[in-house]
Amino acid sequence: MKLKLIVMVIIAFVIFGVALFIGPKFINPFSINEIEREILFSIRLPRVIVSVLIGAALGASGAVLQGILRNPLADPYILGISSGAALTAVIGIISGLSFLGIVTIPVLAFIGALITGVFVGAMGWKRGGFWPERLLLAGVGLGFLFSAMLMLIMSISSDEGLRRATLWIFGDLSLADWSIIPYGFVFITAGFAIAMSRAKALNSLILGDELSHSLGFSPRKERFILFISVGLMTAASVSLGGMIGFIGLLVPHIGRFFVGSDNKSLIPFSAVAGGILLCISDLVAKSLLSPTELPAGIITAVIGAPYFLYLLRRKNVLSI
Amino acid sequence: MSSVSKEHEVNKNISRSKNTILEFEHVNFSYERSSPFIDGISFSINNGEFIGLLGANGSGKSTVLKLAGGILKASNGHINLWGKSIQSYKNKDRAKLLSYLPQILDMNIPFTVKELVSMGLYPYDIPPELTVNEALEMVGLGGKAESLITNLSGGERRRVYIAMTLLQGAGLVLLDEPLANLDIKYQIELLKLLKELQEKREIAVLMALHDINIALQFKKIILIKEGKVLSIGKPEVVLTEDLLKQAFDVEVEIRRHDSGGAYITY
Repeated sequence: MKLKLIVMVIIAFVIFGVALFIGPKFINPFSINEIEREILFSIRLPRVIVSVLIGAALGASGAVLQGILRNPLADPYILGISSGAALTAVIGIISGLSFLGIVTIPVLAFIGALITGVFVGAMGWKRGGFWPERLLLAGVGLGFLFSAMLMLIMSISSDEGLRRATLWIFGDLSLADWSIIPYGFVFITAGFAIAMSRAKALNSLILGDELSHSLGFSPRKERFILFISVGLMTAASVSLGGMIGFIGLLVPHIGRFFVGSDNKSLIPFSAVAGGILLCISDLVAKSLLSPTELPAGIITAVIGAPYFLYLLRRKNVLSI
Repeated sequence: MSSVSKEHEVNKNISRSKNTILEFEHVNFSYERSSPFIDGISFSINNGEFIGLLGANGSGKSTVLKLAGGILKASNGHINLWGKSIQSYKNKDRAKLLSYLPQILDMNIPFTVKELVSMGLYPYDIPPELTVNEALEMVGLGGKAESLITNLSGGERRRVYIAMTLLQGAGLVLLDEPLANLDIKYQIELLKLLKELQEKREIAVLMALHDINIALQFKKIILIKEGKVLSIGKPEVVLTEDLLKQAFDVEVEIRRHDSGGAYITY
């Protein structure tokens, strides 16, 4: 298990290297001039870091969410957190808000995500605890509401605002900038640390609340803590780069295939694999039709959707 | 029976009665504002006892087990685990003393058998003497450690969870209808296995069941109806035609063999 993780981390670093030096313009790492140095450190490096952070957050939070909802088809976006983030972000983009400079939109998205998270949490709360079905239905219901509001706003907005908003919704990493990385890093690391510290409890929750209790946990308390972990990671990732589909759903399944379902190894594996997948997707997204950039979210969905359908046909992965 | 062995029996009974593990005292429980679902139940479980909790559907068997496991809180009365209120234990400490296995073991996440069984060690910082592989051997699944739980049959899956319970090493095991939905072959095998494990590891077992013929295999039975205890004791005392008619609302006939066995006909 440890070995597999180490191998993954090495692969990850190789891919980060490739992503840094390959792009619309190849940069030879052994003969860099001033302009290339500028491209490397101001544009490509923050972008690689942001893609890795987002991918890691989505992979890890997907694994956690599938556990707390006891549902292998759950995706961090199902809780409506991302729709809430998208709504506030798009309002910000279309009305041209920039009171915090370049971090305005990420901050707005994060606020939208947190408010939605608290709201979904409140809806999912009954008799002193979180109920998986309630959380799920509250998230789906709220997600629909926010999507409708989003459509409404977009349908009455100007062309330029609409284009930028659309890009953001599909996951746009071209806005990646050093100034937002520390915030993203703090929230994602905090969420990840919480998830890792509760990995055993999460395993027990998958067995059901009664067995979790029998094994010495307080299932409702644990689900609450893990919900906060998912909320932090999802909110931070959406605010960094918009809605990037399928990583949260897909990566944990790949992880179960390679390292098993024990969350002590599944969560870190999903984080590393999610980082790698988004880094590659972004590389493809910006190279495929260069110099035109595609949103990375489209690439992850193009890879993710067929794999998702394939999973549906496999009994080992889904016993439903 | 010789007088010596009789004396031995008496001694054993006295020493056991000192070791009351679980005690229900006039326990009441109701779900959301309705009338009491569990209505003044009292009984106790001693160290090493193998007890069947018999009753019709909806008689409150599962609720009694959940109360015993500390999952539900009694509205009235006392439930004591080793002489202390069960709600006064920390979760982890309670988990070392009792374990609970629900009737429905649904699972959508493909844990391996080994991953699942090793969760039995979660209450412990220092693992107890039994290992995952030993626990799997005990339930006859020695070669299945790496199999996915989602690929096992109902009977095998049930045994995996029992292996987890063994690893948890609690002195009291609460099993909710562990034989339900199993073929007769697996029912017999599992019952044998449970008895064997219970004797070997000297654990007390409280098992909910609704099959009267299986209840005949127990030395002690608690018969309940509508949240009340109808009778507690040996099968000869509890499984009478009159009491069973009250509990299940059917006419049954009990046939006893000269060898000591018995069965129910309808």
